[in-house]
Amino acid sequence: MNHANSLKIKNSTLLSLLAPGLAIYLFVIIVPLFTALGYSLTNWMGGLDKTFIGLENYAALVKDEIFWSSLRNNLLIVLLTVIIQMGLAFLLTVLFMSKAMKLKEVHRTVIFLPVVLSAVVVGFIWQMIYSNDYGLLNAILKSLGLENLISPWLDDPDQVIFSVTVPLIWQYLGVPLIIFMSAVQGIPKDIYEVCELDGVGGIKKAVFITFPLIYDTIKVAIMLSISSNMLVFSHIYVMTGGGPGTSSMVLAQYAYNTSFNSMQLGYGSSIAIGIFIISFGIIIIFKKLAEVKQE
Amino acid sequence: MKRLLLKGTCTAVVLSVAMSVLAGCGSGQNAAEQSAAAQSTAALETPAPGSKSEPVKISFMDLWAKDKAENISTSVREALADFQKNNADIIVEEEAIGDQTAYYTKIKTLAASNELPDIFICKGSELAMFAKNQAVAPLDEILDADAAWKEGYVTSAFDDLTSDGKIYAVPYSMLSTHVIYYNKKILADAGVQAFPETWADFKTMIDKIKAKGIVPIALGNKEQWVAESCILSTLGDRFTGPDWFNGIKDNKGAKFTDPDFIKSLAALQELGKAGAFNKDMNSINNDQQKTLYFNGKAAMFMEGSWAIGAVMAGPEEIAGNTEVAVLPSVDGGKGDPKSMSGGAGSGFASGVKGFGSKKEAVAKVLKAISGPEYAKSIAEKGEPTAYKVSDYDKSKVSPLAVKYAEMASKLKFTPIYDSYLNPAVVSKMNAGLQELLISTITPEELAKRIQAEYEKVK
Repeated sequence: MNHANSLKIKNSTLLSLLAPGLAIYLFVIIVPLFTALGYSLTNWMGGLDKTFIGLENYAALVKDEIFWSSLRNNLLIVLLTVIIQMGLAFLLTVLFMSKAMKLKEVHRTVIFLPVVLSAVVVGFIWQMIYSNDYGLLNAILKSLGLENLISPWLDDPDQVIFSVTVPLIWQYLGVPLIIFMSAVQGIPKDIYEVCELDGVGGIKKAVFITFPLIYDTIKVAIMLSISSNMLVFSHIYVMTGGGPGTSSMVLAQYAYNTSFNSMQLGYGSSIAIGIFIISFGIIIIFKKLAEVKQE
Repeated sequence: MKRLLLKGTCTAVVLSVAMSVLAGCGSGQNAAEQSAAAQSTAALETPAPGSKSEPVKISFMDLWAKDKAENISTSVREALADFQKNNADIIVEEEAIGDQTAYYTKIKTLAASNELPDIFICKGSELAMFAKNQAVAPLDEILDADAAWKEGYVTSAFDDLTSDGKIYAVPYSMLSTHVIYYNKKILADAGVQAFPETWADFKTMIDKIKAKGIVPIALGNKEQWVAESCILSTLGDRFTGPDWFNGIKDNKGAKFTDPDFIKSLAALQELGKAGAFNKDMNSINNDQQKTLYFNGKAAMFMEGSWAIGAVMAGPEEIAGNTEVAVLPSVDGGKGDPKSMSGGAGSGFASGVKGFGSKKEAVAKVLKAISGPEYAKSIAEKGEPTAYKVSDYDKSKVSPLAVKYAEMASKLKFTPIYDSYLNPAVVSKMNAGLQELLISTITPEELAKRIQAEYEKVK
């Protein structure tokens, strides 16, 4: 009883404690969302006059080829990341659980370290790795005698989107890994012990015990990955700036370019709202799909 | 419970992430309100114009970081300090924002609330938009009042800063966006004695240099403006001549799909196909293109006159062998081969609010930071001037700057595309040129794409 009482907080205290956080959220996120929605209905070019043009921007957006090709790039990045990054993270989690693996702390630190690096720094590092004349990648290929594999990594419109996805997968591999590992620690040890008594091997243990038991966590990790990759910007901005042409253009960069390079702030806002709607839709669809599988 | 929690988390995550991207677009207004508030308090403190006892305050905003000693900014600040000594009744308050993007964001925000500074630096293309919105004041009145001052500027100095026949800014320097910096030793090794005068010879030279295993032209077009501003602005004019561009600028029937302009795009693509550029041209920037040149891996590069300083600071054996040139004439071209894209580019403009009440003071300050004494001071540092200077001390000017000045004195300026065209059109053109150079698009398709954007924003 005493214990419950001590946890009880007056509503007014609760509100005042929440207020600073709520205020920041309101003015940094909610208010800009509605102002952007307002701008997206105008033809604002950054000057004094802002004419209300209704849904004209959205009508143009639906027909905008670059918008859709950027979306396709985003979806490709999401797909590659979900498959490769989540796959690798799960594999590593299983490896970390096994007794055969040595120096677990070191491995975990090394894998997680890039997560805390600034995206701009990672972009620059990978730009150097891909560099045609001085790049690490081409140097390694050369020293292995694989000269025929050397290609202009960031200059070939057909492969540039893959080249810019690799750093994304590499940098954020640590995030799902840490999430999975903490989930795995929540699985009672006795389940595994019973398995071992029954003679269940490593792979079966991973597929039939670990995977179903951390399935909910995997879903959250995938959702985090989708939402962050729908908004990926800095890496690509630094590495290619969306080029060559628009072949590595992603939605966030397109919204940025339109707003601040072309100064079409109204249209740029409608792109941002478009991203919001599409990302929201994808998350809802994913949630529905993932739930059906569970039942 | 777990499920509810999950649902809550998901919604929160989606909302917060999706909205954070929008925050960027919306924040402009908050900033505008804040600075508007700050400005209005400042305005209250400013004494009423005409009261002789109180000094007049002139706000001056520039994009030159205070800790960076560049030729032009140092000269402007010296001129201002001198001016302050002799004019106790005017106080110039300088605000420097060292980052160009941040500077223009702030200027546009101030313009949106009609709080532009009394004097500020502005690009010609932005100026046209401000003029349309009546946020900047036409300066014809004060220029015409002092004919000797106005006449002192070099011809065409005001071209970039004029909109609808009115002058909206005074220039402080002239720059060219197209200069070919070439290594005469590499050219001589490849058997080219003099820089070619015709397009055919130019292409032969490219082949000869390439045969030596050296990149003929270093190009760093990752940021997309280099190919357009430093190459196409001049190459295009060689084919189309200035009349076509005036037709485009004034909406007088000229089209990007006109055969002459397509020819210039085709010529650029031809260079790309012939392997004139480094393979990674779309993933390195204009600093890295100079690195290629400095390492002796490239025979030349094309950039504006601003690169003179960088070249002189480069390796001695490269800097010593560097000569300057411009693109040769082309067959059937309507443009004058003795020209290069360039102009004032930017100038000092005046916000309409401050100009209205402090006209005389603004004129005095403008003259001090762009007139004869200032021009002499930058000429002695080897910078191209917008004001006629005949007699100055050449001893401190670098040899390359002298070579450039000699060449520039024989050439005319043609318009820089991105100084005049709508930013949306420039954006389309710049992105398309990347594709053109690697032949994933034809000149005709690109021309159509630019024309479509041009018609949309007209």
